[in-house]
Formats: sequence, C-alpha cells, structure tokens
Amino acid sequence: MNASGALAGLKILDLSNYRGQLCGRLLADMGADVIKVEPAGGDEARRIGPFADDFAHRDRSLFFWFYNLNKRSITIDLQQRRGIELLMQLARGADIVIESFAPGTMEAMGLGWDALHTVNPALILLSIAPFGQTGPYRDFQADDTVLAAMGGMLYVNGWPGRAPVRPWGLQAYHSSAYYAAIATMCALFARDRDGAGQWIDLSMQEATAAAVEHVAGSYFGEGRIEPRRGTLHWSRYFRVGKCRDGYIMHCSLGDWTSLIEWVAADGKAQDLTGPEWEDVQYRAVHAEHLFDVLDEWVADYARDELLERAQTLRLPYATVRNPEALLDDEQLQARGYFVEVEHPELGRTFRYPGAPYVFNGSPWRVRRRPPLVGEHTSEILRDDLGLNADEIAALIAEGII
Amino acid sequence: MATTARLALEGIRVLDFTWVVAGPVATRILADQGAEVIKLERKPGPLGSRQTGLQGDLHRNKRSIAVNMGTPGGLEIARRLAQVSDIVMDNFSARVMRSWGMDYASLSAVKPDIICLSMSGLGHTGPRSNYVSYGPTLQALAGFTLLMADAHGEPAGYGYSYADMSGGYTGALAALMALWHRRRTGRGQFVDLSQFEAVTSVVGPALLDISVNGRKQEPPGYRSQELPAAPHGIYRCRPRGDDDDRWIVISLRTQAEWERFAGAIASPAWTSEAKFRTLYLRMRNHEELDVHVARWTIDQAAEAAMERLQRAGVTAGVVSNGADLCERDPHLRARNFWGTVPLPDGTTTHVTGIPMKLGATPGAIRTPSPLIGEANDYVLGELLGMSRAEREALIAEKAIWP
Repeated sequence: MNASGALAGLKILDLSNYRGQLCGRLLADMGADVIKVEPAGGDEARRIGPFADDFAHRDRSLFFWFYNLNKRSITIDLQQRRGIELLMQLARGADIVIESFAPGTMEAMGLGWDALHTVNPALILLSIAPFGQTGPYRDFQADDTVLAAMGGMLYVNGWPGRAPVRPWGLQAYHSSAYYAAIATMCALFARDRDGAGQWIDLSMQEATAAAVEHVAGSYFGEGRIEPRRGTLHWSRYFRVGKCRDGYIMHCSLGDWTSLIEWVAADGKAQDLTGPEWEDVQYRAVHAEHLFDVLDEWVADYARDELLERAQTLRLPYATVRNPEALLDDEQLQARGYFVEVEHPELGRTFRYPGAPYVFNGSPWRVRRRPPLVGEHTSEILRDDLGLNADEIAALIAEGII
Repeated sequence: MATTARLALEGIRVLDFTWVVAGPVATRILADQGAEVIKLERKPGPLGSRQTGLQGDLHRNKRSIAVNMGTPGGLEIARRLAQVSDIVMDNFSARVMRSWGMDYASLSAVKPDIICLSMSGLGHTGPRSNYVSYGPTLQALAGFTLLMADAHGEPAGYGYSYADMSGGYTGALAALMALWHRRRTGRGQFVDLSQFEAVTSVVGPALLDISVNGRKQEPPGYRSQELPAAPHGIYRCRPRGDDDDRWIVISLRTQAEWERFAGAIASPAWTSEAKFRTLYLRMRNHEELDVHVARWTIDQAAEAAMERLQRAGVTAGVVSNGADLCERDPHLRARNFWGTVPLPDGTTTHVTGIPMKLGATPGAIRTPSPLIGEANDYVLGELLGMSRAEREALIAEKAIWP
C-alpha cells in the first residue's frame, strides 16, 4: 500500500478563488502537494459563511474549510514585483498552476502562459473562468446562479408555468471543478509522453452545460426544448410522492410484478393491474396517471417503512430526505465516509465529508486541516525555494509575504 | 472534427461494462481524450436511437462488442480482454462482476497490475450495498430533491439526474488517478466508488454547516449561496415571440455594481431611495427591491438586458433554454462548443461538446456512438487474434452476437 496517495509527488500552485478551489482540493485529497497562494489578508473565501459556531472569522469559514482541506497556504503580495518573482520561482518547481482570475489578468501580472512556459516548459496551466479565455462573453461576470442559468441547468428545474427553481449548492462551480481536475489529469498523461506542459482553458459555462444530461440531447435529437417538469423525471420513470410523514421518490423501472402485487394487496392498485402496464414504455407514456395512483397508495405509509419494504423487493425507491440525515446514514457510517479532522488551534475536532471512493492501494486521506492564512509561508520558502531565515525576514519586512 | 494532434489518453485501454448514464459518462470523458474504450454489451440494446440525442452523447468515441456473458465463451472473451486492458470499469452491485469472475480478486490473479473501478450505487460494502438505485433516487437520498422546493415548500426540482453526472465525473477522475498511480508505481488496485457518496460530496459546505453547527438546511430560494448579494434572483423578461417563459438572473454584490446597475437602467427614482442605499439595506429590503427590478426586466428582452448589464459591468445572464443553449448563444457558438459527428448514413448530428480545452492535446469527437457489436471483428480479430473461423464458431455457440 502506498499510503501517500495516488498523486504523491505532484506540486500544485493554487491561485484560484472560491469558484475554482474544489479542483485543487480533489487533487490534494489524493496526495498532491497543493500550495494555496493567498493575499496577506487571506483568500476571499475566508469571508464567506457559514462559519464555525456562526462566529465570523477568517480561520473559521466552513465554506473555506470545505474547499481547502489538505492544502498548504503561503501569503504573497502579487501586486508587488518581488511577489511575482517569488511566484515565478515557485512555478519553476511546480507541475501545475491553477488560476481563476478574469481572463488576461495573469498575463497582465507577468504570469501569462508564455512567461510560465518559458521558465518551466513542463508546467501545466489550468485557467478556470466563467466563460473561458476566448469568445464574445469572455469578459462577462458570473456567479454560480448566472452560470446555472447560462449553462441550461436552471431553466429545466422547477414547475412548468412558474419561475425556475435554482439547483441547491454551487453546482456550476462543482461541475466545473471536477472537469478541471479531469483535464489536469489528462494533461499530466500528455506531458508524460510529450514532455511538455500545456494551457487548459476551462469554461464554467461549458462545464455546466455538459452537466445537464438531457437538454442538448432532446434538442439535437428531437428538436425539442426541454420544459420544466416539476419532480417528474424527463425519462418519465421517477416522480416524488408524499407519504404521511414525508416524501419518497417513486420509480417505475423496477420489477413491476412485485410492485403491483404489493399495491394490489393494499387495495390501491386501481387500473394498474392491467397487462398493458407490464410494458415499461407504456408506463413511461402514462406516467402521470401511474404516479397519481401510486401517490394515493403511499399516502398512509411512513416513508422509511415504505423504503425498506420496497428495497426488499428490489424496487429502486428512495426517501426524499433532509441532508441532515446524511450525518446519521448507516451506509455512510459503515463506509467511513465522514472523517474527523483536528483543528488544534481551536482545540476541537470536526466531522468532514470524506471521499466518494475507496482506493484500496492508494487511499484518500486527510493529511492536514485547511490552512490558516499564510501558515506555511516560511516553510515553503525555506524548503521549496531554499531561502534562509534572513531572506525570509527581509521579505516579511518588505511586506512581500 | 478530426484532428491530427495526438490525444492525451492515447494508449490507454478501458474495458467498459457500464450502462445507464453515470458509468457511460465516465468512460465517455476518457474516450473523448483518446482512451480506447471497449464497451461490452448485450443484444438487443434498449429501444430508441443509439446515435443521436442522449445516447449519441454518451457513447461517442467508443467501440462496442456484443458479448453474451451468460455463456462460457462470452466469459472467456471478457477475461481475455481484461488481460489486454489497463482498467475494467463497471457500475453493477458487487455481486455481478464476482459472479462472472471479473472482480478485482479474480482479475488481479492473472493480471497483477489491473485496475478495477466499480461505480456502484451505494458502494460494495455496508448494510445498504445491495440497494437498487438510479441517479434520481440517489440525489433524493442526498438532500438535493427536498431542498429544491417551490414557494410552498414542496419539492420541485431535478427532473433530471444530476447524480448521474456527479457520479460520472467522479468515476472519470478516479480512473485517471488510479492510472496515474500505476504509471508511477507499477501497481494496480481496486477502486470502490459509491455514486451516493459522489453526489453527497457535491453538497459542499452545507455538510459542514450540518456537522459543525448542527444547522437544519432550508431551501435557499434565490438567496446568494456565496458572497452576499442583493438584488440576487431571477426576473421575468419580455416574451420572445409567443414564448413568455423568458427570464434573466441578476446578481449584485458590491456597491460599485449597484451604482453601475442603476446607471445601466437609467437611474429610476427607486434606485436612489434611502432603503436601498447600502448592501445591508438592499438585503434587508430585498423583496421590495425585487419588485422594482422585475418591473424593469419585464419590458426587456432577456438577451438585450444581459448585454446591457454586462457591458456596464453588472453580473447578469439569460436563463437559457435548449434553443438558447444549442443554437442561439453566440459565445458557445464562437467557442465551437457543440460537437458535430458524422453518421453512417451520410448525415451529421450534434452532441454535447468537450468542456475542457487542452491547448496542445484537445480532445476530439471522432466517431459517433457505435452500433452494438460494431467492433466485434476488430476487438476479437485484431486485439485477441481470433481467426474468422473462431469468431464464426463463437457466433454459432451464441457467445457473441453478430
């Protein structure tokens, strides 16, 4: 077993803001040394809540913690020339630089692709921007909601005839971060073969558009503009129903005979016992009626009881839960999904969400809690750049670090 | 869209048992970057078009062989293919691959550096590892469905499977990291990916709010989930022809943005009212503010309003529908996002593009989704070195479908 992780030995400079930070985290979790470069006052993400115990402080932002676990932090003032020089020195020894500045900013700072490529031809530069590095909207501003809108994720969410409902969480950012991490891995494989790094242009709008499975397929395949359908899945095999104590997700894709025998035994099958319903496509075409009947059936059930019985019959039902239930979920607990992370300066240990996969040969693991502002500045300058104590002290005195 | 540039993942071979959506998304991402993905399937496949629409998106750039895993000959083909592959991917429950002798323990005995990546619904271990699931049910278990509520608090969202996408991305990433690890150490491994954990992981900071602060999560509505903002929301726009389902998102975080916004809409009197003077006040009085903003947007075409606001430095965007996205958005067109694939009948179809532009090794959409069994001759003949007579015999014994 290689306990240091699948990406051990890779060095990454993470200049990205909160829109792109999940990418570096995904790579850090697997063993890459991700150095977060922050301004002296700390990264903007540290000002975004929620905060631990609702006490707003730059080292207590849960928002920051989630996206920056396992990273180290160095503070460098990139407004100063000497700060840029230090960054260039770090880039010389790095495999990957991640940035999410407005397009053109890196170049204006003297850190553009050409400059980086010159000092380190093997370096991979990953640029994450709302609309990418080219095109008429290149300089448009966006937040996650604008990206969800312009990526097509928003329009199809909610009830027909009412305003679209926004996806929960920052899913445009998250989808982009996964694609960014994948792109980085691909560039590493190409570098292994070709010897050279390359510049990756990651458009968050495109990543968001790619994360909506059915909109483009319906448009190009059938010329149809996908509407909002409430909770009826576009495949017409799933819809939310209401039990006496909460919601469940119906699914008409499982073993129909078992389902309908159960419903009939409860005296609630109405016309669903007919042979035509055995045809899965018939069920899709008549989904509204089918789920209306099933809604009447589940109305008197407790949702957890319904779920257990359904799964015993191998029917793909699920409860529609509050996310708080995740913390107590037996399956997640059994697999050790949540992990304890110690924050010594707060004298406490916190439960973090962990890895979505178990690598049996190169495990995901927590190596360090999210960094305090500039926590590793001296260590990085000393170990990575070979600066001595006097040189570091001088940089501090000049306000560079 | 053929390209002469070499692809990043050339030389990597994936034996692909995945089906439905999440697994095929993962292997599609690898195929787009040049991995040779051999999709092992049964006949007949699902009804509906294989080469256009979602299926066209999911399987382009892959090869397909039609192998009957219910026969000894089919199992033998699969085992031999695993031996010439770098990674074997599936999204079954643990039982299925084991019953075929295609699990990691069996395969690593004959090919020690094999990587097996299983993308099951809830993972191979734990009390619920045998739960039957699909994307829509997993996102319900993770809390997404309930928190996308309408104004009455009823679930209203995700009539699509975001969980399949998060599972797919996580799968592609896991595959690449395991392949990287093998390249460095020479060692394969088994990766047990849970799609439920994948979608749980994209819940994000709210998970820490729950575990650290014990806070019950409420539907966020249109409140900003990042930096504080007001106005921040979705506003109805003027109809486009007979389509009155037109909307714009506007998000104002800073005082400077507020001032630019006011200027861009010609400074109506309400923008100088005291109750909207600071971000704090705008957030406190956001309901009243939203009414004013909506009164402005309702007379604007969504695209024109976005242009006007963005040119003034204000964060805004059209709520794009399928036609906006696939046809009208000038930016996606200029970036050539939508891919074009030639079909065997001489026509072409469009598919979702590759949302990552690698400068030196851009991925490419090279071939349409294969018909099932289309690569039988190549895979069995060239990769496994079987003669025509052997292949005919396999068809006769129903180990493969012609």
